[in-house]
Amino acid sequence: MGGRTVSAAHVEMSVNLGGIALRNPVLTASGTFGYGAEFAPFFDLTRIGGIVAKSITLEPRQGNQPPRIAETAAGMLNAIGLENVGVDAFIAEKIPALAEGVVVVASVFETEIDRYAEVCKRLAGVPRVAGIEINASCPHVKSGGIEFGQRAEVLAQLVRTTRRATPAPLLVKLSPNVTDIREMARVCEAEGADGLSMINTLQALDVDIATRRPVLRNGLGGLSGPAIRPVALRMVWQASQAVRIPVCGIGGIMNAEDAIKFLICGATAVQVGTANYLNPLAALEVAEGIEAYVRENGLARVSDLVGTLEVPTR
Amino acid sequence: MNAPAALPLRVDAAVLENRSEGGANYRLRLGIAGWPGAAPGHFVMLSPGTRGAALRFDPLLPRPMAVYRTLAGAASPEIEVLYKATGRGTNLLAEARVGDFVRVVGPLGVPFALPQAGRPALLVGGGTGIASLYELAARASVLGPVVVMLGARNAADLMGCDDFAALGVELRIATEDGSRGHRGRVTELLEVALAADRGDEAIYACGPTPMMRRAAEIAAARGRCCQVSLENHMACGFGVCLGCAVPRADGKIALVCRDGPVFDADQVAWAGVP
Repeated sequence: MGGRTVSAAHVEMSVNLGGIALRNPVLTASGTFGYGAEFAPFFDLTRIGGIVAKSITLEPRQGNQPPRIAETAAGMLNAIGLENVGVDAFIAEKIPALAEGVVVVASVFETEIDRYAEVCKRLAGVPRVAGIEINASCPHVKSGGIEFGQRAEVLAQLVRTTRRATPAPLLVKLSPNVTDIREMARVCEAEGADGLSMINTLQALDVDIATRRPVLRNGLGGLSGPAIRPVALRMVWQASQAVRIPVCGIGGIMNAEDAIKFLICGATAVQVGTANYLNPLAALEVAEGIEAYVRENGLARVSDLVGTLEVPTR
Repeated sequence: MNAPAALPLRVDAAVLENRSEGGANYRLRLGIAGWPGAAPGHFVMLSPGTRGAALRFDPLLPRPMAVYRTLAGAASPEIEVLYKATGRGTNLLAEARVGDFVRVVGPLGVPFALPQAGRPALLVGGGTGIASLYELAARASVLGPVVVMLGARNAADLMGCDDFAALGVELRIATEDGSRGHRGRVTELLEVALAADRGDEAIYACGPTPMMRRAAEIAAARGRCCQVSLENHMACGFGVCLGCAVPRADGKIALVCRDGPVFDADQVAWAGVP
C-alpha cells in the first residue's frame, strides 16, 4: 500500500547546528538535564540529538538558599543560583560518565567576561565537547547586575572574547528580557557566533500574600514551561529572519507538536527543558514524534520543515 | 549504608482505587507493571490527571509522594499512596477515577536505614507523614520490637491505624483535640517512650517539619540521633532541577530528592528547612 511505502521510507533526521552534527534536531536545555547521567536510567541518550549540560563556572558554586523553585500557571519559577561542579570536575568526572556517542554541548556562564573566556579555554581540546553554549543570562557584575544579554555592547564584547578563546562551535543562548531580540541576534552573528539558542527564562516574580514576600528566596526568578512558549516562538521567528546563523529553539516544549512549531518558525533544532522534570522521557518522545510527523507529511528530511511558516499578507 | 534506589521507571499507572478515608484524606492504589519494589522511605513523583498521552500542564509539576506500601496485586504489582487533598495538584489527584492513569516516576530517593537486628524501633508519624513509615514498620517488626506513634489533629484525620495495627506492632495514638488516644502532640509520646530509654532504640520520624524538628530535639536531648524523612517542593525528584535544596548543618546544601528524603536529623540545619 502507498501509505506503507511512505512510512517505510528513510527520512533524514540529522541536522547541523552551527558546526555541531546532530543525529536528530532534539537537544536538552541546560539546567534541566543535569550532566546527563541522571537520565541514563530512563533512556539511551544516543537516541536524541545531544545534551546541553548544566552551566558550569570556573570554580564550583553552591547556589542559592531555598526556596529555589515555585509552580506558576502552566509554568515554574526558578532561582537556583550558580550551583555547579565547576569546569575542572565537569571535564574530569561528568563527561567521562556519559556513554560514547552522546553528543555533549558544554554550557558556560560566569560573572565576568574574562572568566567566561577562561572556562572556554579549559574546554578546548576536550574531545567529547562538541560545542559550547554561552549562557548570556547571567548578571554582569561590572554592569551592576544587568544580564550580559540585555545590553548589546556588553553582549558583543562577550561573544567577541569567547569567540577568540575557542575554536569550538559557539552557540549563544539569548536572554529574552530585551526590547528587540533581533538586535541581539545580529550582534552575536557579527561577532562570530555559530548559532543562537533561544530563549532563556523570562525574568519573573511571584508573591506569597500571607507573608507579602517573594515566593523565592532570591526574589526574582526565571519563568519556564508552557506558559512562555508563544513568547519563545515569536522571538525565534523574529531572530531567524534577522540572521543567517542557525537558531536552536527553546521555550516550553512539552511534546513533538510544540517542537515542530519551532522548526516551522525557523529553528534548525530545539531544546527540551522544563518538560524533562515532569517527564524524563520527554526529549526522546519529542525526537520520535518529529520523525513521525516528517514521515507522515511525506518529507524527505526534517530540515525541509525549517522556516516554512506562511504568514498571510493582507 | 543505605541501599540505592532500584532504577526508577516512568510509567502511566492505572488507578485501581482512589477513595476518601474521611475528610481530605485519600488512599490511592495504582497498578504498575514492572514495578521493582520500594524500600522503606522511597517516594514517587505523581502527575495528577494524566490520561495516556494527554498530559495536563496546569498544574505543571508532579507531586512527590511516599510509597505507603507495595502489594502483590492480582494482575501486576500495586502501590498505595496516602495523601491529603489540600492544593491544586492533590485536589486534581482526588478527581482521578478507577480506570484513569496517573504518571509515575520512581521509586526515588535514599531510604531509611533499618534498625540492627534485635534492636527496638520507635517510629513517630504525623499527618500524611505516616505514609513513609508503614513499610519501615513492617520490615523493622521482623528485626525487633516496634512502637509506632501516630499523630493527627483529631481522630477523623488519622490515617492507616488499622494497617499498622495489623502488622502486630505496638500502636500509640495522639490527637491534638484528644478525640482519640493521648491528648496532645505525638512527639510527647516519644518523650514518654524515651523516658524508659533502653539506650539502643532506633528512632524515626516523618511528618510536618516542626514535628520532626521536635522529635530530633527530644532524641538529641538523650544524646541520640533520629532519622527523618523531609518533604519539599521539587520539580523532578531525581536530582536535576536542584529545586528541593535544604541547608545542612555543615553549611552545605543537600537535595531532598537525591541526598534524602531520609536524613540523620543532626545533619539538617532545621532553621532553614521549609
